[in-house]
Amino acid sequence: MKTTLLTFTMTASLLGAGAARAQAPAPAPAQPAAAAPAAAAPVAITDVDLKAIAGPKAEDRAKGDPGGTITGTVNDIVVGDPKAGLTLPDLVNMVGQNQIAVNFVWTLVTGFLVMFMQAGFALVETGLCRAKNANHTMMMNFMVYGVGMLGYWLFGFAIQEGGVGAVANLGGTAPLSAEHTIKMFGKDLGLWGQNGFMLMHNGTYDVGVMVMFLFQMVFMDTALTIVTGTAAERWKYVAFVASSFLMGAFTYPLFANWAWGGGWLATLGANFGLGHGYSDFAGSGVVHAVGGLTALAMGILIGPRIGKYGRDGRAHAIPGHDITIVLLGCFILAFGWFGFNPGSTLGASGNGNLRISSVAVNTMLAGMAGSFGAMLYMWIRYGKPDASMSGNGLLAGLVAITAPSGFVNPVASVIIGLIAGVLVCLSVEFIDRVLKVDDPVGAISVHGANGLWGVISVGLFADGKSNYGGAWNSVPGSVTGLFYGDGGQLVAQLIGAATLIGFVFTLSFVFNLLIDWFVGQRVSARAELEGLDIPEMGALGYPEFVLKTEAVGVE
Amino acid sequence: MAFVGLAMAFVGFLIAFGSLGLASGASGRLILVLIGIVVSLAGIMGPLNQAYQKKAVWKR
Repeated sequence: MKTTLLTFTMTASLLGAGAARAQAPAPAPAQPAAAAPAAAAPVAITDVDLKAIAGPKAEDRAKGDPGGTITGTVNDIVVGDPKAGLTLPDLVNMVGQNQIAVNFVWTLVTGFLVMFMQAGFALVETGLCRAKNANHTMMMNFMVYGVGMLGYWLFGFAIQEGGVGAVANLGGTAPLSAEHTIKMFGKDLGLWGQNGFMLMHNGTYDVGVMVMFLFQMVFMDTALTIVTGTAAERWKYVAFVASSFLMGAFTYPLFANWAWGGGWLATLGANFGLGHGYSDFAGSGVVHAVGGLTALAMGILIGPRIGKYGRDGRAHAIPGHDITIVLLGCFILAFGWFGFNPGSTLGASGNGNLRISSVAVNTMLAGMAGSFGAMLYMWIRYGKPDASMSGNGLLAGLVAITAPSGFVNPVASVIIGLIAGVLVCLSVEFIDRVLKVDDPVGAISVHGANGLWGVISVGLFADGKSNYGGAWNSVPGSVTGLFYGDGGQLVAQLIGAATLIGFVFTLSFVFNLLIDWFVGQRVSARAELEGLDIPEMGALGYPEFVLKTEAVGVE
Repeated sequence: MAFVGLAMAFVGFLIAFGSLGLASGASGRLILVLIGIVVSLAGIMGPLNQAYQKKAVWKR
């Protein structure tokens, strides 16, 4: 018996070992150990060596270069002194200039994409409003570009970026070095910048500063245009102009300085040990929450449209006139967001900037997840996949990923986007039915609620794997959230959220209250019922169509 | 009432900002910041919004 057991056991062991060998990949045959390469001795490169490098001959260039093999050679290096010929300083300077040039082109082109988002916002808002207000709604989104830019050029850029200091990706931006600070809690807290008014002040007529201005200006304009959606269909055009100017000149730049311009929120890490300070990669807070909370202030102040609520307080839906341009606008916005988030590295070369690929993919995934979240929520709850909420879900996901896009992984991006898609639906219902604040396009929910969610999600999901030059907000290491070990980061994000809700909302409300006192924010009831196109703009958006003038749901 | 709500909104921010000096650890600051956010939201959704709801066009 024992012998049988022993034989069986040995046989089983041999068979098992054989099977294990069969499942495991066959080991590679033993190779002789390769000798480690000897460290190469440094070779001094001299000007004589450079002069010996021969470029393509003129007769070869004259034949054309279909394969691109002789285009871009030593002949294209800029020589400082033609008499001296190519020297080592020429070569080194060219490398440096090329790095900055790559970053300039990247930042400018992504800025152009963000500028094009204005068209997306215009289509979304106009499509969600009634046809009788099409001209007015379009004009607000069209002119907010100019009005905001004027305020930002005169005052806003200097307030926001006047003290940001050296931006290495853009060659230094040295003139932006005057930040007004106050001493509180034993630390210097930055409040606003002081250099760069009209881009001529104190040396700011500078190529690097120009890049910074263009990129930051288009972000500012995104915040301003959000407000036009909430106040649409009853906002006086002159009041819109005044409100947008003040927001572009003061409200937005102030918070943006605190977050991005070297102000006190960014230094919460360096000064108070709270993670890496308030971290907002591309502006869930700075752009979208500022816009959304200002929209909330306007929505409360201006009141609901006639017919939105019955005498019993029940909300009536006022459908938009063209869902096709709404969804087209959403796609344009999604396209532009490839400039919004990846462009926020301010470069594509050096300092960890190759992470632009990760940022772009995170952006796509969150937008996709947001649209799914909203579509599924509406489908389950109301029995149909609502088109406008699906579009808002896409936008909500994009808004929410804007702050964490540079710090999180793809799985987190999907989670953030999915939550955003459901959150926007819940928020629309809450604001519409509980707060009874009328928001024709859902801007408060898309940008306000999800902007704040994006800010908070940095404090939760940042995984510590990014590396933008070894530090962020002057704190060494990578931004890391609660789920990856740094609870202080969440506190910093919440302080930013509290500042948005308590300070930015209040400042916006006060500015618009003053405009209401002096100019009046809301049009007359007659103008509102007729449609704002004729009373405010003097022309119909659709002159060949007969438009209804009575309000929906009036009792 | 509207100004009470607006004042509450701003006071909430001051509480959150004040957490930097009033507390030293992340936990203490977290509690104060959350209190600040709640106070701000309560002011906005409570007295401020209610004051404007009283004169809303659908109540005329």
